[in-house]
Amino acid sequence: MNIRLIRILALVCASAAWSACDEKLSSVAGPTPNLEPTFSSIQHDIFESTDSSGRTPCMNCHTNVGRNPSGGLNLAHDVAYDQLVNVVSPRLAGAVRVVPGDVNKSYLLEKLEGSPGIVGARMPQNGPPYLTDGQISIIRRWIELGAQRN
Amino acid sequence: MVLACVFLAPAVSRAQATDDDPASLQLAEPDFNLIGLPTTLRLPKFGSSFRVTHRFTRPLNDDFGDVLSDFFGLDTGAQIGLEYRFGIIRNGQIGIHRTSNRTIEFFGEYSVLRQAQHALDVTALFTIEGTNNFKDSYSPAIGAIVSRKIKDVAALYVEPIYVNNTNAEPAELVDHNSTFMVGIGARIRIRPTVYVTGEVAPRTGYKGAVSSTSEDAVTHGSFAIEKRVGGHLFQLNFSNAFGTTMAQIARGGPVENDWYLGFNISRKFF
Repeated sequence: MNIRLIRILALVCASAAWSACDEKLSSVAGPTPNLEPTFSSIQHDIFESTDSSGRTPCMNCHTNVGRNPSGGLNLAHDVAYDQLVNVVSPRLAGAVRVVPGDVNKSYLLEKLEGSPGIVGARMPQNGPPYLTDGQISIIRRWIELGAQRN
Repeated sequence: MVLACVFLAPAVSRAQATDDDPASLQLAEPDFNLIGLPTTLRLPKFGSSFRVTHRFTRPLNDDFGDVLSDFFGLDTGAQIGLEYRFGIIRNGQIGIHRTSNRTIEFFGEYSVLRQAQHALDVTALFTIEGTNNFKDSYSPAIGAIVSRKIKDVAALYVEPIYVNNTNAEPAELVDHNSTFMVGIGARIRIRPTVYVTGEVAPRTGYKGAVSSTSEDAVTHGSFAIEKRVGGHLFQLNFSNAFGTTMAQIARGGPVENDWYLGFNISRKFF
């Protein structure tokens, strides 16, 4: 009986040892391996920085430094969140840039994906390269989780 | 050619042994699987078994003329699985199952309780499968197979199984990354060597949605008629999903809830 139990426990332990087999977030994030579904990470890795694909940082145009922010959206560090979340886009009637918890009504995602019906060009303006599907899925997850100021 | 040799080799079935002899023929439980779900049938030490699973991908609930012109799916592609299992210790077996979408599953089963001494058969089940020929996303599973045979006429199954990482996405991006399912099935012997079989696998947790905004996949369900011939079991089945591994079954079938024709052929070597 003891031998049987030991065998069963060994099999259970072997099975449990395999139980951390999720795909790594960094493999989805692609050119921005440190990107996480938090606002601070998106601000740093997407809005303010380029990446290994050569994508243009959003803040090249969406800034008030030396120019008017493109599309009326300023993504500078201190104001970006308040410019995005629950803010209506001035370019498309009824479109809200980010609706916490509702990825289908968040215009930001449509602009990043180049969905039909957007006003103006797909972002980044001078893409490709655009954000990868993985990068967009991480931003989508941040919205899905409530678009918190985290 | 290899398959032909395997299936045409003479069968040796030993029905004269005692009830607790895993080599004895179990009339109510003639095979190691129902349709996709495993059973509590034991392999004798150093015995083995081979199985082919085949699921045509042409849906049957379509215009009948179109379905007929495709000969119920036989003209279309299929998801095919090959399986080999081996009795490595007394009451314990291991095996490998590969499906044509390049998933490889390794599994082990150990018979903990037997109906001859207790009210039920209980078998512990452990599996680990990986996509892309076991190189990419890994989904381990642990569960129990509980069965009750009713004389030589029927066998009933309840199979609580936890499958980790059924959703290949990183845990940070999904609400549900794993699935708990309860396989429920039955096999009824309607003629001396003919059976009808059915199974369903309701689940909670991740249910096979492609993305966070898409619909869940349908719950795996399947029924079949089968014929035992010596050491072979020939099964014709109808399923709403193609899954034959634990994670595939947990993910369920296409959201359209179509039904598909398929077959299993298994062969015992003991």
